[in-house]
Amino acid sequence: MSVAAVPAAQVQALPSTRELSRRRAITRFRWSILGPLIALLVFVLMPVLFLQLYFSLHQWTVYLGTWWDAEYVGLELFQEVLTDPRFGWAVVRSLSFATGSTIGCFLIGFALAYLMYKPFRGQAFYYIIFILPMLTVPVVVAYTAEMMLYQSGPLNDLITRIIGIEFKPAWLTNPHIALPTVMLLEIWNWAPFSFIIMLAGLTAIPKEPIEAAEILGASKWRIFWEVQLPLLRPVIFLALVLRFLEAMAEFPKTWALLQGGPGTATETLPVYIFLTTWQYFQISKGAAMSYIVMLLMVVIVLFAIRLLRREKRSLDTMYAKAAARPQELA
Amino acid sequence: MRKSQRRRLSAVLRYVVLSLWTLVAFFPIYWMVSTSFKPDTQWFSWPPVYFPDPPTLSNYLNVWFGAEEYTTTQYSISSQKPFISLGNSTVIASISTFLAVLFGSVIAYGVSRYRILSEVRMFQLLMLRMIPPIVVVAPLSLYYSAIGLLDTMTGLIMIYFITSLPYAVWMMKSFIDEVPREIEQAAEILGASRWRTVFEIVLPLVRSGLVATFLFILILTWSEYLLALIITKTQVSTLPIELSKYQGSTEGRVYGRQAALAVGITIPLMIAGLIIRKHLARGFSFGMVRR
Repeated sequence: MSVAAVPAAQVQALPSTRELSRRRAITRFRWSILGPLIALLVFVLMPVLFLQLYFSLHQWTVYLGTWWDAEYVGLELFQEVLTDPRFGWAVVRSLSFATGSTIGCFLIGFALAYLMYKPFRGQAFYYIIFILPMLTVPVVVAYTAEMMLYQSGPLNDLITRIIGIEFKPAWLTNPHIALPTVMLLEIWNWAPFSFIIMLAGLTAIPKEPIEAAEILGASKWRIFWEVQLPLLRPVIFLALVLRFLEAMAEFPKTWALLQGGPGTATETLPVYIFLTTWQYFQISKGAAMSYIVMLLMVVIVLFAIRLLRREKRSLDTMYAKAAARPQELA
Repeated sequence: MRKSQRRRLSAVLRYVVLSLWTLVAFFPIYWMVSTSFKPDTQWFSWPPVYFPDPPTLSNYLNVWFGAEEYTTTQYSISSQKPFISLGNSTVIASISTFLAVLFGSVIAYGVSRYRILSEVRMFQLLMLRMIPPIVVVAPLSLYYSAIGLLDTMTGLIMIYFITSLPYAVWMMKSFIDEVPREIEQAAEILGASRWRTVFEIVLPLVRSGLVATFLFILILTWSEYLLALIITKTQVSTLPIELSKYQGSTEGRVYGRQAALAVGITIPLMIAGLIIRKHLARGFSFGMVRR
């Protein structure tokens, strides 16, 4: 906020020639930072995006000779992808996987954070344990899951012992529950992420409005819904948006654990693109698919950016409002 | 009286819930570690063995040092080179992270003090990372093979540098925003250039922030899978890729060996994460949490 304020004060104090040279220096500084950044994007991202576009418009697989004289097929590949039911199912799976795991991560993360944001004995211990799943490598999560989830494996054994009834779902080989299984893994892996941000958010809420509401006799429930939750809205959006985007891109666990199987039960978009490109060697179809997915993601991301910016802007006003709010509560 | 009882009850309830999740969060990790100490007959026996009996180091010796004499059955992996992968992983992750933090903090300084990137651009930079890497890996690998970067450490370092830059910028900005400007203004009046101000005044002031950002990004790069899978072939291999080579091998399920390798991969990550545990929130909060 004071970024603008400080130079503005100096404008009046300093002679204009000095201020001019200062401005020139800042411009130079600015471009010497941004220059390399832009060059990097131009030299790495542009060729990649261009190649992707080229392949999505030209029919080429590795068997068809050199890629630069591949046959131009126009939008045929896009048509092929969009009429491919397998692609449609992959979109559905990815969206439901991302939605489910985002909600799961959020609910668990928020619940744990809510139980922990006030200091209590053992807080540090629980915090350390709760962030551990996030500090494991995704591939390791996949293989550990395999070690635990086979039908007569430790998880089923433990649950059977606890509930006393034979409990033997085939977590990984039953096509109906394979995707939910991967979703549970994702939740296990990334609930710490939501936990960490929600904990930071809850701790950062100023105490005054809550204390004031307490003094005025508001119930815990009401304080939660009417004071804490509105103040947490930006953080909540952040937790949901980032998790959703990351889950849309999730590849290592799904791939390392099941390679899209059993059948096509866990074939999410990244897995299907990977299979098409690197196992069926349909580079062009994979490229067309990638383009469609990229456009889909760009739309989601632009929406996400709008959402996050709006939240960020409303953050200041919300804090001001919250300070005045408890009086209304009583 | 009633109120204090209720408070005690809710405290007990809290411990119960937290302890339950502790079990859920910790059990898979325990299972991985304990499997790595199990002799091969207990890897997937029925009923499952919860405590290795007797615990053995043979998995570690076999996987990491290729010690055949510790193998009691046919389970052995022919191509042991985890130390080479460990070396590759270390070099790739640390160099790309170092570069990302270096550039990231200069950009963050520019953003924090001179707004060289507007808020929209900052979010766009962040979202650049959020586009799934799968949509660019195929052309990337072709592009890399055309310019000779496929299967090289440089290639991986470059792409990791790009993908972790957004996080570096955002995280460093949150640290630099907290440094009071007065010192810099004094330096400016004394005639220090902006570059000198960054490297000699601002960055030393946010030392702990640099360490936190470095470790935070190191965690992300260390465990990256997809890009490494595509870009590495035979010359270069990172640890997650090395681990995935144990999957689907013709030699059956080699859980103990996999676990021994997995533990080795995970330990540095956990250490890094626990060192910066207080700063993790900052890496993820992107200006949405006020301090």
